[in-house]
Amino acid sequence: MQLNERKSATYNRVRNNNVAGVLAAATAILVGPSVKAEGDFWDFSKDWRFDSAVLYYGEQDRVSALEGVFSATREVDVKDVFNFKVVLDSLTGASPSGAIVQPGEQTFTRPSGNGQYIVSAEEIPLDDTFRDTRLQLNAQWTKAAWGESTGSYGIHFSKEYDYLSLAFNGSLAWDFNKKNSTFSVGLSIANDTFEPVGKIPDPFSSMVIDFGQFPTEDDYRAAFNATRIDSSDDKQTTDLLLGWTQVINRSTIMQFNYSYSNVSGYLNDPFKIISTVDGGGIATDHLFESRPDKRTKHSFFWQTKHHFDESIADVSIRYMTDNWDISSQTIDYRHYFWVGNNSYIEPQMRWYQQSAAEFYRPYLIDGETLPEYASADIRLGEFSAYTLGLKYGWKTSAGNDMSVRFSYYKQTPEDTLSSHPGVLNNLEIYPELDAFFVQYSYSF
Amino acid sequence: MQSVSEKLIPKDFGYAGRFFAMASPCECLVESTERKIANRVMHLVSHEAWRIEKKYSRYLSDSVTQKINQSNGAAVSVDEETQSLLNFSDQCFQMSDGLFDITSGVLRRIWTFKPDAAFPTSEQVKELLPLVDWKKVNFSGSTITLPKNMEIDLGGIGKEYAVDRAASILQKEFPELSVVINFGGDLRITSAPKSRKSWVIGVESYLPGVKRGIDLTVGAVCTSGDTERFIMHEGNRFSHILNPKTGYPVAGAPKTVTVIADNCTQAGLLATLASLQGSDAEAFLQKQGVKYFCQR
Repeated sequence: MQLNERKSATYNRVRNNNVAGVLAAATAILVGPSVKAEGDFWDFSKDWRFDSAVLYYGEQDRVSALEGVFSATREVDVKDVFNFKVVLDSLTGASPSGAIVQPGEQTFTRPSGNGQYIVSAEEIPLDDTFRDTRLQLNAQWTKAAWGESTGSYGIHFSKEYDYLSLAFNGSLAWDFNKKNSTFSVGLSIANDTFEPVGKIPDPFSSMVIDFGQFPTEDDYRAAFNATRIDSSDDKQTTDLLLGWTQVINRSTIMQFNYSYSNVSGYLNDPFKIISTVDGGGIATDHLFESRPDKRTKHSFFWQTKHHFDESIADVSIRYMTDNWDISSQTIDYRHYFWVGNNSYIEPQMRWYQQSAAEFYRPYLIDGETLPEYASADIRLGEFSAYTLGLKYGWKTSAGNDMSVRFSYYKQTPEDTLSSHPGVLNNLEIYPELDAFFVQYSYSF
Repeated sequence: MQSVSEKLIPKDFGYAGRFFAMASPCECLVESTERKIANRVMHLVSHEAWRIEKKYSRYLSDSVTQKINQSNGAAVSVDEETQSLLNFSDQCFQMSDGLFDITSGVLRRIWTFKPDAAFPTSEQVKELLPLVDWKKVNFSGSTITLPKNMEIDLGGIGKEYAVDRAASILQKEFPELSVVINFGGDLRITSAPKSRKSWVIGVESYLPGVKRGIDLTVGAVCTSGDTERFIMHEGNRFSHILNPKTGYPVAGAPKTVTVIADNCTQAGLLATLASLQGSDAEAFLQKQGVKYFCQR
């Protein structure tokens, strides 16, 4: 069987460039005259599309979150889209405070200064007052701009009890090479304001804990207030994105992104502490963390989607490096399979690895000269993580899309130190993390 | 005697009615709140569809098509309607350099389009290929002489022709009435609607999340190909569109090609010819200056 490209190319060609014209004349004889057609594809100008989703996120023994997303899109044209999105999430539970695990019970002061929480022996200290509701609003417009370009701009608003974020973004995309290539440039500017309960702690000040040493409540309050500097602080973020999308052939598309991010201002987590330990590994004090007030990140992203006959493979790799010495790699693989009957499954595997920030320390040694910056926040430490997920989607009898996604996430910390003082050698000092996600989406 | 179901479905624009013909579900959307008019429309459209099906179906032994196919090399005289259909087929053959050929139906003896169907051997194709060539047919205008063992099949234009014929019947009796005539996805709007700017027609998409639609005031839409019918060979996917010159399916064709044109026959042929261009389908349609949508 010889069915090579060249042969089929010459056998396929219609030389007549005016087939439509000849057909119009021939069909007029066959079926009579017809009015000139009036219409076009893609004009859903009167229609809105709605997407909704509910996500449950649960960490083993820690934070759990419930999130609802509602999104409305008005798509007049490929180049005329308006999207409005509301996200509401509620978080409850406990998260690691940064304090070191100990062989005995430990007492800590709540971030507000009102009351205490007790952590059992050999348990990673978790601050159990983590409870918040967050409302996010997004509006994004995409419109044809000059020439062949498409412009997009949007605003973002996010409010939590002690946190407010406002952001603006704008981008331009150019199609060229018969729309096989797209180059895009984007800029986003955000301002975040923190107003934590109990005000902002002074970096490296000691957590004031009432063990009965204060004669009156006022004396305790005075000592607690002495560790507070401001009632609020803020940070500014600027992100710059350069993107290149390339159609490789009719079944493969590739994307390259570079992004630069600059954050400055208050970058501490006001609830995180770092313990000082003596030569035997026993905690002597807990200090509020101190991070630099600037962070610049560079990140590189490559993604390829390949369309097979009955499936789509989606592979992406991300590399990030920043001036805190954190570098990370992410590999993500998803494969979309049609399983007939208007349904599909999409398994996902994701692997992530990061190195620690240069100022990350699981604890400080009592008596050592304090470094300029220090944090025991595990999110700044060295760890690796993987995600396994499975999504099942189907079309309802009314023609709407529904899907359910389950994923499991496991984060494993890496100990880069060869030995620890005294008792710490026999304790699991780095918190592990196991989490489950369940997401249900419905588009109509 | 077949008849239209009395059941008309009330809609905000008027009535919708359904029947079955040409192996497809057929539907009419009638922009009139008068039940009598809607019933008349359904009667006219369905009877025209059944008339054409009966006359040209290759499955019915007393059809014109079968009479020609069983003529065993003898000349068959044909009526005016058949003459104009054969004339039109001849024009399409010329214009497409032989890519549209009503004698190509014999190839179906060896080709089955299911993902796990057997791919015919080159001997099988070679054996059948001499039976495919409209040039070997002697068509004088009022008589047709088909060489022995050759066959004609008007299935490639039958459904589209029926839609257009039904449309022209409606245009004579109800010149101002807007009706969407839809025979299994090949459709035509007889006249611009009054109650709305245009009819919104959904386009079937196999990609989840991709929703396409057509806003059509007047004109026709046809789709060639479907996502279910194809054959796999040596890891390549071949569409069910057969090239009459090679005897093989076209490689690299879009899964579906949807075209907007003034009438259904025009839209259907443009969609079929575009599919036959394989990977050049979009370029071909671009050159024709028509509105189209290809799913790859």
